[in-house]
Amino acid sequence: MIGKLKLSLPDGVQDYLPDECYNKRKIEDKIRKFFYLSGYNEIETPILEFFDVFAGVKPSIEQEHMFKLIDPEGRVLVLRPDITMPIARVVGTKMGDHPLPLRLFYLGNVYRYGEFQACKQREVAQAGVELLGVDGPEADAEVIAMAIQLFLDLRLAEFQIDIGQVEFFKGLIEEAGISEQEAEEIRTLIDQKNMLALEMLLKKLPISVHIKETMYRLPQLYGDSEILTEAMKISRSPKCRAALENIYQVYGILKDYGFGRYITFDLGMVQSFNFYTGIIFRGITKELGYPVCGGGRYDRLVSEFGRDLPATGFAIGIKRLLIALERQGKLEEIPPVDVLVVAEGSQRGRAYEFMQQLKKQNKRVEMFLSTEESKNPLDYARKKRIPRVVEVREKEDIVEHEIDF
Amino acid sequence: MVTIALAKGRLMEEAIDVLEAAGVDCGQLKEPSRKLIFFTPDQQIRIILVKPSDVPTYVEYGIADVGIVGKDTLLEEGRLLYEMLDLKFGQCRLVVAGFPEKQDSWITRSHTRVATKYPNIARNYFSRKGKAVEIIKLNGSVELAPLTGLSDVIVDIVESGRTLKENGLVILEEICSISARLVVNRVSLKMKNREIKALIDNIQMVLEERKDGEVN
Repeated sequence: MIGKLKLSLPDGVQDYLPDECYNKRKIEDKIRKFFYLSGYNEIETPILEFFDVFAGVKPSIEQEHMFKLIDPEGRVLVLRPDITMPIARVVGTKMGDHPLPLRLFYLGNVYRYGEFQACKQREVAQAGVELLGVDGPEADAEVIAMAIQLFLDLRLAEFQIDIGQVEFFKGLIEEAGISEQEAEEIRTLIDQKNMLALEMLLKKLPISVHIKETMYRLPQLYGDSEILTEAMKISRSPKCRAALENIYQVYGILKDYGFGRYITFDLGMVQSFNFYTGIIFRGITKELGYPVCGGGRYDRLVSEFGRDLPATGFAIGIKRLLIALERQGKLEEIPPVDVLVVAEGSQRGRAYEFMQQLKKQNKRVEMFLSTEESKNPLDYARKKRIPRVVEVREKEDIVEHEIDF
Repeated sequence: MVTIALAKGRLMEEAIDVLEAAGVDCGQLKEPSRKLIFFTPDQQIRIILVKPSDVPTYVEYGIADVGIVGKDTLLEEGRLLYEMLDLKFGQCRLVVAGFPEKQDSWITRSHTRVATKYPNIARNYFSRKGKAVEIIKLNGSVELAPLTGLSDVIVDIVESGRTLKENGLVILEEICSISARLVVNRVSLKMKNREIKALIDNIQMVLEERKDGEVN
């Protein structure tokens, strides 16, 4: 029956009513300003893109996760499941004449089925930065420092940035010389920190005892910088050692910025290792069982769009941030209107002029409009906690009332 | 404070045994009560009792930091968690079962009806084998389905195999073995590292003592 859903919303999307919307926008405004002041330029890409942008590249996004549409020519379109890939498309195809490095940021919605664990949203508001054209640790440290600074500015308490490096695991896999499928099995178990199953699987594989022991240690290599020392002791492959060196360099820069205490490490963080090519990180806070932000280095993606550029960046989940801030009691109420203006019919012009002047002084003003529910402006002001009522009358000048609550 | 989610039912008693042996005072849980939330006397640990299939949910959302739940439930729910210990109790097997005489015909038949409490596990298992099946989700007494003709086979957990035998069913294929697991929320492990690591280490010690006990 058509019409039976007219009062409902599809799964995974939500309305932002004024109180939440006010805080969401406030956070987004702060983020936008912070990214802008950090020398990044905002970029906007369409919500509709061709399926190929996300599926026809390596690494790709699984087709099960995308909202698809068909255009009149029969081509498959998607609601963008991610913004980093469209930015890579833009950078690869349109920004050749911009000097490097490119510093770009965005705020916008992405759309996905499933995958976004917990708070099962399908329309997800994100904000993020991409720093393209620099492959050194300074670039990784820059974006991680931005995430930390942003959380500090937003007064998010008790957060931590957990850093990993996917090349460490890749180095082990290469050294072991095992098949892609075996590597994937090992990756899953390391990611789950499933020691027992990992031990059983490693027993079966024909790889050297040394590599087995290192792989077996991997799920436990999380915590403070001591784990880096341990990892360095047990690593032989140049690729693994280079990965650790890289973490040390990034960590060193972050310590120079005074951010050392926000950093922890997890070499067993191998979840999205197809996408990332170096440092990866996640922002976590006590209030939330899943990360607030995530990012890392992805040096291969842009070449899929015709330009070989190293890149790093991160994205923040705005809703997750809102939940965490709410749980920490950091959300704000919408401030009441400052002045309620009541005008007699003939004085409308004067009242309007008066209101414009107040707005110029950054005051919130509202014209009183009588309704069935409230006919008296003073009662209305009390109800809406408006501290000042100004009546513009024909004979007298202006009558002011201070309202007590 | 660390919150532990325990699966009510089959695994609960043994889960409490392991926790007690690891130094978590579960005295309150042993008294008859309808409460769902308990605290240890030192208020360091909160224990919540939930349906087995809800344990992974509570842990994934971070409402519980740690959970004790069967591997069957973990496979079925497919949540993003750390699965850190095999607690070794609650051992059983996840199998495909049916009538022995139908064994040949059901494998060749192009459309098999599968009754199960584990629709996701069953769907994944048969899809990996490239077999088209119709999944019929049931909530209990799954053995009844082939007996009454609702399904050709069942996918279920089997401990001793007695229930199957009494109903004239046999195991046709074994999917995997199952036991109770300790799962941890991915953020909690990092943000409450000290408390959770201590708990895990203590439980691990209990498991090793038990293993030694078996050997001797």
